[in-house]
Amino acid sequence: MPDDTQLMPRGVRRCSPHQFLLWVLPWSALLAFGLYSAGLCLVKGLNQTNMDNRFAFGLWIFLDLTVIALGAGAFFTGFLLYILKKSEFKAVINSAVVIGFICYSGAVAALLVDVGQPLRFWFTFWHPNVHSMLTEVTFCITCYLIVLCIEYVPIVLKNRKLSQIPSFLVFEFELHKLMPVLAGVGTFLSFFHQGSLGGLYGVLRGRPFAFREGFAIWPSTFFLFILSAAAAGPAFILLTTWLVSKISGKPLVRPEVLPLLGRISGILLLPYILLKSIDTLIWIDSTSPAMGFAAHQFYAWKPFGAWILFAEIVVFGLLPALILLRRRLRESPAWLLSAATLVCLGIALNRFVMTIQTLALPTLPFDPFMSYLPSWQETATFLAVVAYGVLIYSFSFRYLTLFPQEKDLSC
Amino acid sequence: MLSHIIFLGLFYAVLAVVSATVAVSLFRSAQDFRARRAEAICWQETFPDLPARERVCRHEFTGELQHLICDQAFECRTCQTHAALLAKHPPGAGEADIFGLNFPLDRFYHRGHAWAHPEPDGTVTVGLDPLGARLVAEPEAIALPAVGAHIETNGAAWHVRKRGAVVRILSPLDGEVVATGGAQNGWYLKVRPEGGRLDARNLLRGAEIRPWIAREMERLHSALAPANQAPTMADGGVPMDDIAAGYPDADWDAVCAEIFLEP
Repeated sequence: MPDDTQLMPRGVRRCSPHQFLLWVLPWSALLAFGLYSAGLCLVKGLNQTNMDNRFAFGLWIFLDLTVIALGAGAFFTGFLLYILKKSEFKAVINSAVVIGFICYSGAVAALLVDVGQPLRFWFTFWHPNVHSMLTEVTFCITCYLIVLCIEYVPIVLKNRKLSQIPSFLVFEFELHKLMPVLAGVGTFLSFFHQGSLGGLYGVLRGRPFAFREGFAIWPSTFFLFILSAAAAGPAFILLTTWLVSKISGKPLVRPEVLPLLGRISGILLLPYILLKSIDTLIWIDSTSPAMGFAAHQFYAWKPFGAWILFAEIVVFGLLPALILLRRRLRESPAWLLSAATLVCLGIALNRFVMTIQTLALPTLPFDPFMSYLPSWQETATFLAVVAYGVLIYSFSFRYLTLFPQEKDLSC
Repeated sequence: MLSHIIFLGLFYAVLAVVSATVAVSLFRSAQDFRARRAEAICWQETFPDLPARERVCRHEFTGELQHLICDQAFECRTCQTHAALLAKHPPGAGEADIFGLNFPLDRFYHRGHAWAHPEPDGTVTVGLDPLGARLVAEPEAIALPAVGAHIETNGAAWHVRKRGAVVRILSPLDGEVVATGGAQNGWYLKVRPEGGRLDARNLLRGAEIRPWIAREMERLHSALAPANQAPTMADGGVPMDDIAAGYPDADWDAVCAEIFLEP
């Protein structure tokens, strides 16, 4: 095996090339299998999936909404560091950018398979349906992915070998000086597309379970999606940082960094849960009855009983918010990590409810309850996105400086 | 129709802003090269990547300040704290023999282990201090700049390869190279300083040298210690002429990076 030490950052230790190969191989195999499955879907069509005209949102849309929410840590950390000048977040900004890049590029890749006809992807920009919320989402995600690519460039250019080329380092320096502009643009784009994903439910009159009203053209879910993503982003960075630290066996950030991320997450999660609770009460009291359904009717089908609402608001919302807001609990790693895990699971559950559960429930009294289980092609494509993320992060961690404090902490 | 134009205009404006940001960065980079700022920028960019122990302020060595990490990339010429402390306590004469190494007091020392000696003809001779010289003793290769080349303070002055590790030696001054030497000459470069005279405010001298070298020896011992073992220090004696020969198992790239301030 060739020695790749010269490509790694100095002063940090990484596993041997053999160990790294053993780590990368299974993920590569999973990615290859997923690409084959995605290829089947693209070549043979969406009949390879278990989605149909009635159940048009499946595993992939759930994946998209979840990873985009979890990837919000990139824009929110950038906003805190470059706009609000909170320098503590320098410790995780590079990792946050890589995570954001993985989440958004993974989501775009899954969307290309889901929408189909990837060679006509440019149609949405040239012939935009300006009446669709999803056009705004497409524009925002594409623009933000470009921003994330540009934010990723300085991290790559600081690779030990690449940084020996002065022009790369000078370009990195000049680009970094303008990073507040990119962070501002990223915040603007993220804010709007997270909101627009939620805004979709303002026009979903045919789905009384998910339909929401709000202010002017913005339904309540517009704001709830933004707030929940901003709360989940730091929790996901916290969780990934801890996980990478455990897997690599090295301290990556100073001990105060993870509780700080937890605190930010808690501060945003509490108002989200309060607003979500108010929104749910309004929906139970007026929105749903006005559409001809008593709210309890939606929870009459066994798999999606009222427990799911309780779990979403209390177990995955209020509980972690209270843990993260108490300093004593936040400073205990077990509590902190449990709370961060709950927050991330909570966001996934929320996006699941807003996609899968929404489509499974009947919309007319004589409609049946619909069930959906993804096909193996859908599942493999989903897992390919996960494998892609793990691979990009693994290579970035090995060859780039994702955690600037690691060097000092490893001495 | 108007709302459509606003909607699309907004997003194409975002793309325009992003493209303009990249274009401005490229334009400014080209300007930096034209204005010979590239070396200084490279140093500024990599300086924060050095471990904190390598970025300690020179006034911490002398006990004037405590726990201060330099945030000026060792650019003491523009540092107000340095100017104030220097006016208050100019460094004393000091001594030349430090841990058995000879540091002549007629010259100035850069934190990256180069020295600068002003000559009567207005040029400045640049060499490697005794500790640096022992680390790269009998190098495999030396790459000196061409006569007429411009070097910048904290930029790469020349490169040395030792046991596979390529080390760049930082320049102690700005100026034009007028002659090149080598290890056998006892000096590496003769430089005509920019502005006609050596601005030595960023360089160490006199009584500052001993506490600095004491700290450097500590760092060297740490760098030479095997992984996961505490550094052990020799009880007496002086450093070998070729330190690398005494540590065949050491990661020489890491050792040189530590001492020559390469992130």
